[in-house]
Amino acid sequence: MKITIVPREPETPLPDTYYDGLARTMGDEAAAWARLPPAEREKELRWYHDNFWTPDDLSICPPELGGDEGWARA
Amino acid sequence: MPPPPPHAAAVSAPLDFLRIFAGLLRAEGIPFAITSGMACVHYGLQQTTKDSDWIIPADALPRLVALLERKEGELPPWRVSYRQIFGAPLDAEYMAHGWTSHLSVWDHASSVEHKVDLFSKPPRVRPEEMQTDEEGWAVGHVVAQMKKTDRDKDWPIVNGLGQRLTERGNPLGLLHLTDIPALRLAWQAVRPEAREALAGRRPLLRHLARTPAAGDAELELLLLLERRIWERVNEARHSRYTRAWREFYRRWSKSADFAWPTPEEFWRQQRKLSRAVREHGLPADPLGDVPRESLVAEAVARLTAMRFDAEEVKSLLPPVADLLP
Repeated sequence: MKITIVPREPETPLPDTYYDGLARTMGDEAAAWARLPPAEREKELRWYHDNFWTPDDLSICPPELGGDEGWARA
Repeated sequence: MPPPPPHAAAVSAPLDFLRIFAGLLRAEGIPFAITSGMACVHYGLQQTTKDSDWIIPADALPRLVALLERKEGELPPWRVSYRQIFGAPLDAEYMAHGWTSHLSVWDHASSVEHKVDLFSKPPRVRPEEMQTDEEGWAVGHVVAQMKKTDRDKDWPIVNGLGQRLTERGNPLGLLHLTDIPALRLAWQAVRPEAREALAGRRPLLRHLARTPAAGDAELELLLLLERRIWERVNEARHSRYTRAWREFYRRWSKSADFAWPTPEEFWRQQRKLSRAVREHGLPADPLGDVPRESLVAEAVARLTAMRFDAEEVKSLLPPVADLLP
């Protein structure tokens, strides 16, 4: 497998329709998070890492390989 | 937002570690892509994660192992350990066939544990579509394919990545959208000559082209069935890995000197695990000679046993090259 490097996404803002769609499917909080500039998101994420140190995922299987359900079925 | 507590310097490291590790890989000329949770944070679609998931081609794994071994001998010394979970050694023979490998890394004495998950053959990603941007972030299409798992929480992210791709003018977004209004708009916006190719990869899109157009209720049912197809095919594939690993682990754990993981240096762990998988019969390729079509047929059979209509299931099946590349 070869990994091809492609240009970065443009930094132009995404239209409101994108965030409206996220609000519809993921909720207002998720849409508000997505609207934050990347630096703001990083700042907030750092705050969470600083203040809440809990396991991300307690599954014995990684999520991409099925997570708990995949494990239970095996 | 209150000020960080005094221990912040020790525990605010996941994002820093991500950059350090990416920089090391880059300096060693090891190709990589950051995917899954951290990539979703990068794309603004996930709010928390600490673990990092990396795609590294199998032929670059010897260089990665050498890097990790070297970092244990440098100052400040890293500590690198396999985790006690399902997974294979960082060995090209295994990783090239879809196994994953799971490490813990401590990059200085007071470091928190960094969980590093590695793929060489990411599930559901066509090799020719394996792309990153210049910073190493897996492109949205790759992340979306990997997120088509059995977990409910991943599917809104798949849709979000699809929306993002669509807004950026990438027609591959249509392969991931599940929000009906967005799906209809995106379908209308795509060039007619591109539609057939997209519908070839996602037959559900043909229902958008029908006259009169499929109603929303019908589309919702089709979307549900399409998702079940991805889930059941994933299960048919993945269960062979977990079963193989459990059997291997059972055999290995009965050996007289069994202890895993050990507090040893990484190079010793690497040698021990590489030997164990061969001595105790972990298959390098659990799918082996199993035709991919038969795994898909197994998934279809499970769905029809759940009283989904067989013809409808077949009419929605994505190509095997996307389900099980």
